[in-house]
Amino acid sequence: MSPITLILIAIGLGLAGWLAGRAKAWSFQKSDPSIRLVARPNYHAWYVAVWIVIPVLAFIVLWSIVAPQLVMQSVLASPAANVLPDFGFERQSILSEARAVASGNAQAVFNPDAQGLVKPFYGAISRYNIIGLVVTIIIGFGGGAFAFLRVKPDFRARTRVERTVMIVLLLASLVAILTTFGIFASLVFETVRFFGMISPLDFLFGTYWSPDPMSSAANPDSTRYGAIPLFWGTIFIGAIIAMIVAIPLGLMSAVYLTQYANPRLRAWVKPALEILAGVPTVVYGYFAALTVAPVIRDAAVAVGISNASTESALAAGVVMGVMIIPFVSSMADDSIAAVPSAMRDGSLAMGATQSETIKRVLFPAALPGIVAGVMLAVSRAIGETMIVVMAASTAANLSANPLDRMTTVTVQIVKMLTGEGSFDHPATLSAFALGFVLFMVTLVLNFIALRVVKRFREAYD
Amino acid sequence: MTVIHDNLEETNAKMRARDVSVYYGDKKAIDEVSIDISADYVTAFIGPSGCGKSTYLRCFNRMNDTIPVARVTGTIELEDEDIYGSGMDVVQLRARVGMVFQKPNPFPKSIYDNIAYGPKIHGLVEKKADTDEVVEKSLVRAGLWDEVKDRLDESGTALSGGQQQRLCIARAIAVDPEVILMDEPCSALDPIATAKIEELINDLSGRYAIVIVTHSMQQAARVSQRTAFFHLGKIVEYGRTSDIFTNPIEERTKDYITGRYG
Repeated sequence: MSPITLILIAIGLGLAGWLAGRAKAWSFQKSDPSIRLVARPNYHAWYVAVWIVIPVLAFIVLWSIVAPQLVMQSVLASPAANVLPDFGFERQSILSEARAVASGNAQAVFNPDAQGLVKPFYGAISRYNIIGLVVTIIIGFGGGAFAFLRVKPDFRARTRVERTVMIVLLLASLVAILTTFGIFASLVFETVRFFGMISPLDFLFGTYWSPDPMSSAANPDSTRYGAIPLFWGTIFIGAIIAMIVAIPLGLMSAVYLTQYANPRLRAWVKPALEILAGVPTVVYGYFAALTVAPVIRDAAVAVGISNASTESALAAGVVMGVMIIPFVSSMADDSIAAVPSAMRDGSLAMGATQSETIKRVLFPAALPGIVAGVMLAVSRAIGETMIVVMAASTAANLSANPLDRMTTVTVQIVKMLTGEGSFDHPATLSAFALGFVLFMVTLVLNFIALRVVKRFREAYD
Repeated sequence: MTVIHDNLEETNAKMRARDVSVYYGDKKAIDEVSIDISADYVTAFIGPSGCGKSTYLRCFNRMNDTIPVARVTGTIELEDEDIYGSGMDVVQLRARVGMVFQKPNPFPKSIYDNIAYGPKIHGLVEKKADTDEVVEKSLVRAGLWDEVKDRLDESGTALSGGQQQRLCIARAIAVDPEVILMDEPCSALDPIATAKIEELINDLSGRYAIVIVTHSMQQAARVSQRTAFFHLGKIVEYGRTSDIFTNPIEERTKDYITGRYG
C-alpha cells in the first residue's frame, strides 16, 4: 500500500465528509426556514473535510516513516533472519534485495541467502499495509464523525476554517525561514571545523591564496589560506565593474521605458529585457570567454599593453553587468511606475520639464525600489560563478588592474569542493568558510540597504 | 449653443478660449466650447460628473498633453498669445498658469523644498536668502505660515489634508503665476478645511485670475463671481454667479441648480 493510495483515500474521505457536512448544514435550513446558520453551509462542509484530511495526512506522513521500521523489525524477528551475516554491507544488501522482491520492485534475488527472507518480508509488508489502511480509515471516520457532530446552526465553522487556512499559510512561510536557518547552521558547523585548523586571522587578512589539497591535513600551511585576493576579486568583478555597467544602463532603460517610450514599444521591450534575466549563465560565460574577452585583449594590445591576457576581470565584469541589467531595470521600472501620477502631474503643472520631474520627484520617491533592485543585482553578481570561471580564470590575484586574471569566492568554492580532497582537509573545508563569509556579507549588505532606504526614502503616502 | 447672460459688462479677459474641443481617442469629451477667463474674478465651472469641466480646465495649462490619447483643437489665448501655438513653451506656460489638483499632492519632500521646487527649477532664486523669502511669502499668502513656520523641514506629506492643499496652493503661488486653475480643490477635505481654502480663494482673487471646478454649487456661490454650467461637454449657460443661481435661463441649468439631477 503506497502512500499515494492512502492519500487518495484521504481525499476521497475528505470529499465524502465535505458533502456530508454540507448536506447536514443545508438540512437545518430546509427543515426550519426560521433558523439562520451562523456560517454558510460551505464552511461547515470545509470544516468536516479539514477534520478528515489533516489528521489522515499527518498519520500517512508518520506511517510512511514508521512502517518500514516495523516491517524490518518483524522480519528480523522471524527464524529466517538467523542466516544473515552479523553486520555490515552484506547484511544490508541481502535485506534490501529481499525487500525489493517482496514489494514487487525486482523479479528475483541474486543472493540465495535472500530467498528465504522474501516470504517474511512479504508477510510483514502486507500485514502492516492492512494495519495502515485500517488506521487511516478509522482516523478519517473518527475525525469526520467528531466534526460532523459539531455541525449545528450556531456553530462558528467559518472562523475555524479560516484559522486553519491561516495556520497552513504560516507553515508555508516558515519553510523558507527554516531553510535559511538550516543552510546557516550547516555552514557554521563546517566553518568552525575549518577555523580549528586555520586561524581566522590568517584566513581573513592573508593576501596569498593557494590551498594545496595534497598536503598533509594534520599540519596545514596557514599562510596559503589568505582569502583577501578572493574577496577583492569578488568585489572588483561583481560589485565594481559589473555595477558600473549595470546601474547606469539599467536605470536609463527604466527611465526611458516608464517616461518616454510609447506604450506599444514598452509592451515589447520590457519583456524582451526580462528575457535577458532568463538566459543561463553558462551561455553568458561563452559570450564572455569567446567574444568579449578577445575583443578586450585586442583593444588592450592596440593601445600598447602587450602582455594583456585573454582571461580578464574586465571581460567577466562587463558581461556580468549586462546579465544583471534586467534586475536593476525591472525593479527600477516597477518602482518608478508605482509613484502616483499625482506626483508627476504636480511637478509638470509647476512647469517642470520631464527630466526635472524624473530627477527631482520620481527618482527620490522610487528610491527604495531602485536600491532594492541594485542590492538584488549585487547579491546576484557576487554569487555568480560560471562567467568568472570561463572568462576571468581561477588564479587568485590581488590587483587593481582590470585586465589581470582574477578569481572570486564562488569560483574557489566550486574548485575546492569538486576536487579529490577529503572532507577532513582544510582545503576542502575552506569552501564552507568562504561560503559563510559570502553569506554574512550579503546579509550585511541587505541590512545596510534597508537602513539606507528607510533613512532617505521620500514616502509619498 | 451657450446662453450668455446679457448683463455682463466687457470683461478684462486674461485668457480667451475659442471653439475648444477635446477628444479622447475617438470620443469627443468637449464640443467647441468658448469662454473668457476674467483677470479680476473667480470663475467657477459647475456641472454633473463627467460633463467635461475638469477636462476643459486642463486645457488652460496644457495638462491634457500628458495624456497620450487626448487631442485638443481650437485656440486658447493667454494675453493674446496662442498657448497651443508654436511660439509657446509649455514649461513657461505652466509657470504662468498654475494648477491645484483634486487630491492634495505635495511632493514627498520637506515643506520648504515643496515651495522652493518651482522657483528653483525656473531660476527665480539664486541665493538661499531669496529662496527663504519666496518660501515665507508664499506660505503667508496661502495662510499656512503661522502653522508651519517652526517645522519647515518636516515632510509635506505629514501635514493634514487641508494643510497639504494649502501647501499645494502656496507651491503654485511661489512661481508667481498669472492664473491659478483649481480642479475641485476641496473635494477631499472636511468642511473646516474647505472653509479655509474658500477664504483663501477670496483673498487671492484679484491678484490672480482663478478658475475653480467644483461639484458643490454652494461653493461656487460662495467663492465665484462668474459661473459656467457644463453639461455633456458643452457650456450650457454662462453669467454672473448670482444670476446663474437666482435667474437661470436654461431649463437644464434650473434643473441642476434645484437638484433635479447631478
